[in-house]
Amino acid sequence: MAKDNIFVGLEIGTSKICTVVAEARGDGTLKVIGVGNVPTRGVRKGEIVDFDTAKRCVHDAIADAEEKSDVEISEVYMGITGSHIRSFNNRGVVMLEEGREEIDGQDLEDVRANAREVSLPIDDCILHTIVQHYYVDGQDGVLNPVGLLGKKLEADFHIVYGIRTRIQNAIRCVKELELEPADVIINSFAAAQAVLEKSHKQLGALVIDIGGGTTDFVIYIDGAVKQSGVLAVGGDHITNDISIGLKIPTARAEKLKVEEGDVTLATAFPGETILLKDETGFAGREVEREALNQIIHARLREALQIVKRQIETEQNLHYIGAGVFITGGCSQIRGLQHLASEIFEMPVTMAHALSMAGVTSAFENPHFSTALGLVKYAHLVQTNHPTSSGFFSRAIRKFSGIFRN
Amino acid sequence: MVQLNRHYDRKDDSDESIAIKVVGIGGAGSNVLDRVMLDGVDSADLVTINTDVQSLTASVAAHKVQLGRTLTRGLGSGGDPELGLAAAEEAVEEIRSVLQGGAVVFVCAGLGGGTGSGAAPFVTRLAKEENALVLVFATLPFSFEGRRRCIQAEEGLARLRAYADAVVCFENDRMAEIALPRMGIHEAFATADLTISQSIRSVAHLLQSPGLLHIGFDGVCKVLKGGDARGLFGFGEAEGENRAHDSLVRALKNPLMNRGELLEEAHHVLVHIRGGTNVTLGEVQIIMEELNRHINDQTQLFMGIGIDLRMENRLSVSILSSLGESIAKPGVAEQPNHKEDLIPGSMMKLMAPVGVVAEERPVSREPVESKEPIAVQPEPPVGPPVWSTPAKSEPKMAPSVQPKKEEAKQEILRFEPVSRGRFEKSEPTIIDGQNLDIPTFLRKNIRVK
Repeated sequence: MAKDNIFVGLEIGTSKICTVVAEARGDGTLKVIGVGNVPTRGVRKGEIVDFDTAKRCVHDAIADAEEKSDVEISEVYMGITGSHIRSFNNRGVVMLEEGREEIDGQDLEDVRANAREVSLPIDDCILHTIVQHYYVDGQDGVLNPVGLLGKKLEADFHIVYGIRTRIQNAIRCVKELELEPADVIINSFAAAQAVLEKSHKQLGALVIDIGGGTTDFVIYIDGAVKQSGVLAVGGDHITNDISIGLKIPTARAEKLKVEEGDVTLATAFPGETILLKDETGFAGREVEREALNQIIHARLREALQIVKRQIETEQNLHYIGAGVFITGGCSQIRGLQHLASEIFEMPVTMAHALSMAGVTSAFENPHFSTALGLVKYAHLVQTNHPTSSGFFSRAIRKFSGIFRN
Repeated sequence: MVQLNRHYDRKDDSDESIAIKVVGIGGAGSNVLDRVMLDGVDSADLVTINTDVQSLTASVAAHKVQLGRTLTRGLGSGGDPELGLAAAEEAVEEIRSVLQGGAVVFVCAGLGGGTGSGAAPFVTRLAKEENALVLVFATLPFSFEGRRRCIQAEEGLARLRAYADAVVCFENDRMAEIALPRMGIHEAFATADLTISQSIRSVAHLLQSPGLLHIGFDGVCKVLKGGDARGLFGFGEAEGENRAHDSLVRALKNPLMNRGELLEEAHHVLVHIRGGTNVTLGEVQIIMEELNRHINDQTQLFMGIGIDLRMENRLSVSILSSLGESIAKPGVAEQPNHKEDLIPGSMMKLMAPVGVVAEERPVSREPVESKEPIAVQPEPPVGPPVWSTPAKSEPKMAPSVQPKKEEAKQEILRFEPVSRGRFEKSEPTIIDGQNLDIPTFLRKNIRVK
């Protein structure tokens, strides 16, 4: 099978490592041909804390996907997250030299380079530089300035950066397994590729990917990324809260969260209890359903409020027309849609990946949104690169050497 | 056009500069003082006060006061605070005369022994009577030094808090964290002394050096006076390309800061950035943004920037704050006279001398046996300046006289170590000064049925 039309997305998550293998078909669509999924150990809050264990898990996930898809994986698109990842918007400016008026591709490169000239901490490197809007001679609304006449080209960029060594940890993990990391994409972008349609991006949409260790969010306004962020709070925190609050072991708390957890308050009957069966090493007992819900409610309300506050500070909340899209493994908790629409005061969609051909169970599960988004991203970059005016080709990867070593 | 006359005689402002006195009391205090002396501090008077003549002679300070000439006759106070106090009272006039004229007095003492615990509160009070701003830098003994010593230290601390404007407490147990376990003991103590000396020097610098954005005396008072006199201090210095980030990280790593987690509880935080002429706006921005993550919205931030040519390529960040409610507590600083009024009996208890003589130098401290419940005797009132402590500084001992009972309760709750569960070892997620790894319902005090 030709290597060119196979895309592999690898998400090293806090709770699971997920590998999606997809094949690009002649008609320009993607077909998911295999999904590898193994529970993770050695990852906390989206970052590797135990390298060897995590490497073994990645190996297993890749092997699982290879087996299911019957493809030998050599190159992967990696999702990345972590509390160290930050972003900001910046504008770049270039003046065309005397005697030349037509803007060419080189000017686009120059304006990008100009926008990237910001003082970041020395340990940090830029992950993404995504164009938002071009301005030619101060006039906005320019979609593609190449070929236009002008003296001054400006462009707004959304720049995502993170601590180099922490990004390299994930890359090294993949490299040591004899795999080639084709690109590194932050999880929120990937999730947005999976769950948003183009019209959503135009209208303005907020995607929140609540995963095991982190909550990643991204806002699209006028078809461009306006803001993104990572909050290192996720499903793990809920489990931990339950474990502390109800005094039960973490593994049991996790099961209780998945099976019985609900964020809606005052839905349980007074005194309603949940019976925890006894297992080896755990004496059975009863817990109050309301107490469980209170703990989950407090945590998720807080996490969503922090996200909302961050969006409010940038004054982007009012430009979200298509509403909020919540995805990720933790989004499956009952009642979250209601809570989120109460907090954000706008329609909330519990989203999973838009349909693709192939293994249907994959895209109907919000667990896999990020990994599916990675292959979609890869596909779009591959098909549009380098000439098309599509958004993704503009998200040219410049990694300032994070692949070194 | 505005021209400055070349012969314009600028008023010499040296007499407006703030007179600073650094007082080291007891063995540990004079060690710190030596360190301050070695590191160099601009135009500050250094004073050593001790009962032990040997240690006093060894000190490099310019002014020396021997306590208890007749009482201890040049020996140490034998780990007995009462004796330390009595010795200090004997030298009251001498102490007064060295303290005279100081606008800011730094008192350094190692608590737990006789001279430190006994004389330091007394000296602090005398300094307060001279209307100086008094900052106390106290070290608390290691817990392995025995219960007795810890109790003596706590009692000394309670008194210091009653008189001083702020007490910055260095717990030796926590100071041990900065020293490597295999480091030589001498070196370890030197590191501890260095930390204290850094604190003193940076406050002194902050007060004295003219700044681009100047933090005055008033700012320091505001930050330190409001709280319940539990000081927070962090100092970090770095050079190189990433010096802004590094220096802040170092400041937050200071054992007193608990990685910046304690900052969220502070109401006023003072930051002072010092560097050569090449400090950039970007660097200031990096430091402040990073720091803002650790403090909450209501916190009042005082920012100062000082340019010091001697810093060359280095950049230093000092963070100063105090914990507790910022509501001004009348009586602590403003009305020193009122203190004499209440004498809660429990505070007057002093331990009788024990057999083991622990010297002032921490290196030679030995665990003090505390088997025998020693008879406690209320201290006889000594002349008009009676020893006393307002009840509020010692909530544990006299909870019934606590005027703001609820708030005090809240305070205790906050200091309880809260579990982060499985995130114990990972990098904490701190947003707006809240550690999000701690369960939300615990932080928000939601009562879970």
